Amino acid sequence: MTLSLEERWTLIDKISRETVTFGKYEHTLKDAIGELTVKPLTGIPVAIAIMYGFWSAFGSFAGTLMTDGFFVKLFDGYWLPWLQGAFPGQGSWLYSIMVDAGGLGGSEFVLSDTCFEAFGVLTSGIFVAIGVVLPAISIFYLMLALLEDVGYMPRLAVLLDTVLHRVGLHGYAIVPTILSLGCNVPGVAATRILETKKQRFIMMTLLAIFIPCGAQIGIMDKVVPALMGWILLYLIIGYFIFGYILNKVVPGKAPEFLIDVPPYRKPLMRNITKKIWGRITGFFKVALPFVMLGCAIVNVLYLLGVIQWLGDVLAPIFVGWFGVPKETAGPLVAAFLRKDLAVAQLSVINMTDYQRITAVVLVTIYFPCVATFAMMLKEGWKELIAAIGVLIIVVFTYGGLIHLIGIILGVAE
Amino acid sequence: MGHPNVGKSVFFNRLTGANVTESNYPGTTVDYTKGWMKIEGEDVELVDVPGTFSLDPKDKAEDVAVAMLHETRDVKVISVIDASKIERGLYLALEIIEEGYPVVIALNMWDVAWDKNIRIDARKLEQILGVPVVPTTAISGEGIKELVSRLKDIQPVEVDDIIANAGGLT
Repeated sequence: MTLSLEERWTLIDKISRETVTFGKYEHTLKDAIGELTVKPLTGIPVAIAIMYGFWSAFGSFAGTLMTDGFFVKLFDGYWLPWLQGAFPGQGSWLYSIMVDAGGLGGSEFVLSDTCFEAFGVLTSGIFVAIGVVLPAISIFYLMLALLEDVGYMPRLAVLLDTVLHRVGLHGYAIVPTILSLGCNVPGVAATRILETKKQRFIMMTLLAIFIPCGAQIGIMDKVVPALMGWILLYLIIGYFIFGYILNKVVPGKAPEFLIDVPPYRKPLMRNITKKIWGRITGFFKVALPFVMLGCAIVNVLYLLGVIQWLGDVLAPIFVGWFGVPKETAGPLVAAFLRKDLAVAQLSVINMTDYQRITAVVLVTIYFPCVATFAMMLKEGWKELIAAIGVLIIVVFTYGGLIHLIGIILGVAE
Repeated sequence: MGHPNVGKSVFFNRLTGANVTESNYPGTTVDYTKGWMKIEGEDVELVDVPGTFSLDPKDKAEDVAVAMLHETRDVKVISVIDASKIERGLYLALEIIEEGYPVVIALNMWDVAWDKNIRIDARKLEQILGVPVVPTTAISGEGIKELVSRLKDIQPVEVDDIIANAGGLT
């Protein structure tokens, strides 16, 4: 037998009267802190402080301490020169693919000085994955785990609710967004907590296009630190502009949300370490093979002349419409496999700062990486096709717009 | 089964030794995970599902949980309830009981309820519902052994009996 809704609540009332006594509840310090972080007047400064702390810890630990302080010295000082000498057949195909392409595209073979320039599977591939991305995502996941376990995420959701309604979402969309900053794959999975198809579609599309993953942010911070502000600004603005448009265009509802804000809790060391470990090993299983494969494929395509050919064919679009050098064709091919690798490749192409900003933004918003692609497919192929449609439109309009802004500002031509 | 952020994944990891993500926010789990646990030497499959407020799903994550329950009729259900929000937890538990599933109730976050000066007479609750009710604090592991020991002999109960035990619906 099943009860009606009213009957069920009546029954629960009776049971609860018999078995539960509610004592006097005292407002605790935890509650007070909890309220302070949700009320806009105090909550917004706290949120900004937390995000700033997040960012500076990220930059100083991953970028300065680990990558520059340790891995760059290790890889450029010892690993690269040793391998350049020890690997047989300098100048051969295999050598170019595995160790050092010796100045890609150039006519003369010159040994590279750094692991960014070498482009080999065993040099750039391993260096990007271990030397740059691993420290970045380790620190990111540590801080993410802390925010998650303390219980800050739902509070951030409450704070950002009004803003996110403008783009057809609601506060809880901050959860997939922040998860995506680590990796877009769990971000896409987390869109399931949104109620309607419309919200899930908008969220998934915005994530895939505008949210760079931890690996990508790590390498951007390494190769173009001075331009990070501009790049992130363009991405955030794009997120809101296209979210706003999608909200107007996509049919369906964007309901309000009700959320249980859990009490603040002291994070358990055991759980934090377990989560970080799980996520980092997950990264290695997925990312390392793809970075190395990406290096190999791009090198082969260079050697076959495919990249040069693509660059020539697409030159009118790249140079005329986006205002970036045609050599960016290579990184864009690599971007489908791993975006971090693509950013690394961009760093050795000769261009102006504004072109570099444009190119990094393009690599970010252009096609999601293959793992994200597969995850989106799992959530529905119709949505995936629609998202790709949106993506193509966004890449062209926004890429062109950024170029236009550059022209107006007088920093592009 | 249980509401979001009541500790289902913590139970799951404790019982199976698995590694599903645990966090302090609703919506951490968005897909199901299967694992194995031992009850008195016997291997038993355990499924962790996303949280849901009722058996009438409101989003895709809830959908996963409800579909999993309905697709596997021959299961026993650990109904995890946040002891500090017991009424609404009972709502979902009753829904599951009404559909004829054998249920054991874990009154989880017992420590939080205690701190909030909420006192629950678990034994009396058990008498009224006719299903085992075990106070637990999953993150520290309290009550988990008892929960497991009571899993094997749970039976479906008639909601009429619960109504009679509670003294009618009026």
